[in-house]
Amino acid sequence: MINNHPKFELIQAFVNGDLPASLSAGIAIHADMCVECQKTIAQFTEQVAENSFEEEFLDRFIVDDNDALESIAAIDFDHMINAIVDSSDIDVVVPTIEKNISFNDETYIIPTALNSMELGKHAHIGKLTRTRIQLNENEIHTSLLHIQPGGGVPEHTHKGFELTVLLAGSFHDESGEYVKGDFIMLDGSHQHNPVSTNGCLCYTVASAPLHFTKGINKLLNPIGSFIY
Amino acid sequence: MQTNLLSKETSAKSTHMSDKINHPQLCQWLDSVAHSRDKQAFTHLFQFFAPKILRIARGKFPNEAQANEVVQDTMSNVWRKAHLFNKDKGAATTWVYTVMRNVTFDMLRKIQGNKEDNLSDDIWPVAESMSCETEGFDDHLADKNLLSVIENLPQAQQDVVKGFYLREMSQEQLAVHLNLPLGTVKSRLRLALGKLKVQLGEKHD
Repeated sequence: MINNHPKFELIQAFVNGDLPASLSAGIAIHADMCVECQKTIAQFTEQVAENSFEEEFLDRFIVDDNDALESIAAIDFDHMINAIVDSSDIDVVVPTIEKNISFNDETYIIPTALNSMELGKHAHIGKLTRTRIQLNENEIHTSLLHIQPGGGVPEHTHKGFELTVLLAGSFHDESGEYVKGDFIMLDGSHQHNPVSTNGCLCYTVASAPLHFTKGINKLLNPIGSFIY
Repeated sequence: MQTNLLSKETSAKSTHMSDKINHPQLCQWLDSVAHSRDKQAFTHLFQFFAPKILRIARGKFPNEAQANEVVQDTMSNVWRKAHLFNKDKGAATTWVYTVMRNVTFDMLRKIQGNKEDNLSDDIWPVAESMSCETEGFDDHLADKNLLSVIENLPQAQQDVVKGFYLREMSQEQLAVHLNLPLGTVKSRLRLALGKLKVQLGEKHD
């Protein structure tokens, strides 16, 4: 059962469209597998929409904003309407064609939220395989991370945040077992050593390289940049 | 007569709905745009939504031209995608909000120099807003199979079948859209289905 969900603040920012594409997709992927969050998102969207299009809500910030009022008056709405209805095009929904990705002879379906994203080549270290998702979000790096059975990531902390959404399989760390659909958001205060007994595929978003903390593992800090 | 039906469904939907917005009226306008490309109904929708969208966009984009572009793109998506709105899945305001948020999101990504990749409709589907898709999973293969069979139909029949089943337009909508008499739409659909049955039957039996 899915036990880890996005915080409500994250869901709010998601609905408002304020999160970067990487985190937005992470929440969409989770919600696709989580009826509970689907419901929360639907309700909150409805509420935000209602507030956005309510006259009174608007009146509240129309006050003191004469400039904006003037510029609204300056726009030729009639012209815009005519230009729009002049077109007889309608948008066809092309049925989404499933995209697959293979790691070590296993094929996985790519979540719909990632359908239009560009994927990089596989890179390997030990039992880990990483494919970068090319979102161009500067210090935020997004990847698909595959861990072969018995593989794991040595104990580390996160300098920024690290989001993991489990797409398939399972892994565990000091806090417990994670399953498909789990949405795990960690920050610098967390230290963990995730291990996947049977292998797994994760969607990961990290804002800074991992930092390995324990003895000899400190030598692994270059791997931190690999996973980041 | 239809208005009563609509208001019953819509008002029963949720506690978040206020009386300040005439939801049944908005649904009806969207419906008229979807079914009969009703320009008058679109003008009403535009007058209701455009000033509000503009104000919200002004909050997100410092540049006036960009804010105007949000209005233009959102409203022209409403015009082109109205048939994708499903009043049983939520309010018209929620749907238009989704369209607006998606336009804004893609534009911000473009402006911030991330990429011009239009990811929003994959993240927030406009067609079936946040519906549970899990039951559709098994059918994807069958769909692909079906699609390839449809592709082999004569073009005229393909248009009708795709419009009816994939875009979920009504026969009346299709007649308007394809500029054909309703009878022609019906007979093409019948012909096409006959062929599909023969072809798929071979594989399914």
